[in-house]
Amino acid sequence: MSFAVETQNLVKIFGNIRALDGLSLKINQGEIFGLIGPNGAGKTTALRIISTLLLPTSGSAKVFGLDVVEEASEVRKIITYLPEEAGAYPNLSGWEYLEFMAKFNTNDKGEVQKIVEEAAEISGLGERLRDKSKTYSKGMKRRLLVARALMTKPKLAILDEPTSGLDVLHSYHVREIIKRYAKEYGVTVLLSSHNMLEVEHLCDRVALLNMGKIVAEGKPQELKEKYASTNLEEVFAKVVKLA
Amino acid sequence: MLKGFGNFLLKELKELIRDPKIFIGMIIIPVIMFPLLGGIMNFSIQSAQESVAKATILIINNDVGDSAARFIAYINSSFNVISINTTESVNIVELMSQNNVTEAIVIPSDFSANLTSGLQVRIEFYSVFSGVSMFSGVSATVIDSLIEEFNRALSPNIVIPAKSVIVKGQVIENLDAQTISNLMISQTIAMPVIIMILLSYSMQIAATSVAMEKEEKTLETLLTLPMDRFAILLGKLSGSIIVAAIGALAYMIGFTYYLGSLSSAIPSNVNVNLAALGLVPSLFGYILLGVSLFVTLLSALSLAVIISAFAGDVRSAQSLVGYVYPLIFIPSLALMYLDVNAIPLALRILIYAIPYSHPIITSKAVIMGDYTIAVVGIAYVAAFTVAIMYFASRLFATEKILTAKLKFKGLIRRREKTTSEP
Repeated sequence: MSFAVETQNLVKIFGNIRALDGLSLKINQGEIFGLIGPNGAGKTTALRIISTLLLPTSGSAKVFGLDVVEEASEVRKIITYLPEEAGAYPNLSGWEYLEFMAKFNTNDKGEVQKIVEEAAEISGLGERLRDKSKTYSKGMKRRLLVARALMTKPKLAILDEPTSGLDVLHSYHVREIIKRYAKEYGVTVLLSSHNMLEVEHLCDRVALLNMGKIVAEGKPQELKEKYASTNLEEVFAKVVKLA
Repeated sequence: MLKGFGNFLLKELKELIRDPKIFIGMIIIPVIMFPLLGGIMNFSIQSAQESVAKATILIINNDVGDSAARFIAYINSSFNVISINTTESVNIVELMSQNNVTEAIVIPSDFSANLTSGLQVRIEFYSVFSGVSMFSGVSATVIDSLIEEFNRALSPNIVIPAKSVIVKGQVIENLDAQTISNLMISQTIAMPVIIMILLSYSMQIAATSVAMEKEEKTLETLLTLPMDRFAILLGKLSGSIIVAAIGALAYMIGFTYYLGSLSSAIPSNVNVNLAALGLVPSLFGYILLGVSLFVTLLSALSLAVIISAFAGDVRSAQSLVGYVYPLIFIPSLALMYLDVNAIPLALRILIYAIPYSHPIITSKAVIMGDYTIAVVGIAYVAAFTVAIMYFASRLFATEKILTAKLKFKGLIRRREKTTSEP
């Protein structure tokens, strides 16, 4: 069985900045994997390379055995990517946006309808889906986009800060949905967050990223035990101090 | 004074003037562009007048008298004269093309006799109509004033030029090139105006639609979808072309109406049917014009897409695209009234080099049946378009479409780092 995601010694340099500095990780199929770390740690860069947006300066990344550089168009067929700061088309309604996105996966009208109805349920936006997305609040937009990323049940969903901008209740709702999709449909989820407490409850395994490098990796429980900490924040603080 | 107004206004001015986009676009460009345009016009007028002064005129002299010789000598003071003495009737069009001249005068056999007896005499004046420009009639005007001066020594209106124009080898009597040109300008002025609007408007749309994907943060999602990257580029281009075409159609309808109201003001004694003179494009001409317009539009849009890829938001994309406008406006405005052949060589090369002049040049060339210029122009713009499209597709195929912004982010991050470090 190949890994859902496998990166080897991934390096990305922007000008003078080494955003990724030899990132190697393996994510199992069906797993919810969290990349955590402070702002500027390289989380988004890693996710962008895995989702075929950026080219690595060196090293390699594979998604279900497909190389993200050489077989980018094949990779795009099995992933969805939710950027941290994503938007929808302001003059399309939420429903139209979901339809537009669903049509990239299937040409069958009935199938499109089914996918969009599912997304409507995930988003919980109800009748508001008929309104143009420019009338949505930040939280509503985020729910629409999370629904978009999960509705097609991709083999790998790459979610950059999925609960960013959401209030406590909606964050909870989104986390529950992510869990359900991973469990029921076998969707592998790779997500990033700087909220370590959130990740602790959601992820099967996590990697702590700092300055473009993984400084610790494992199940949240194991990490807490290993570093004798009560939560991942404490783990992170200790690891960074050690390093 | 309103409380705080002065302070606020000062801040506004500082912020606006310090924005290089506004400073260059609103202040520098007009300061450069209009004098430049004025210079082109001035230079063209001068060179048109000079070329008339140095022009060669063919004189067919049917009269052996002294007055005719004096008249020829008089014309010779302002023109290079090729004089042919003959008493037989000649094919004027053939003779003119043999001698490579565009103006000719025919002196009748009773010229000297009539002048001596103080009778009015008509000489025939022929000019070849070679294209629409403000100065098509300059030679006729020069001849008019020469004859007037000649008459002054004798008696007013004793010599009258009967003007005829040669259009595509056909002699049309009682019409001069200026009249045709004036008439056609009112009709062909529409083309440069529409092209100007169409190009600038569609570039704006294309730039906005790409920048919008960035500003609304939809581009990243789009680039991870299972779709061809080239399809994104083509989709952007096609969408812009369709919207721009609808816009252009609306403009054209409005503009035709405007021109209609203008041409009703043209004196009714100028009763010239341009179609009968062969001065409207043929079907082939219209097709060439359409192709020329299409490839030019495509190149302009691709350029707009490339430019906007380097902008982070809609406003900067629009300002950046604005820098290309002089390349559209200058040839449009210059060619609105000028014949490209009447422009000095250096400027002519410049105008030919700008791809956006070609639809206008083509629109004039096809009227005159000069398809070579049209085809060469299309080939040139097509080559330019392919190059630009290739560049645009490379931009979309790689991460560069995103990294223009990323670099900016990187800079901020670096600055944050350096400031956070003690």
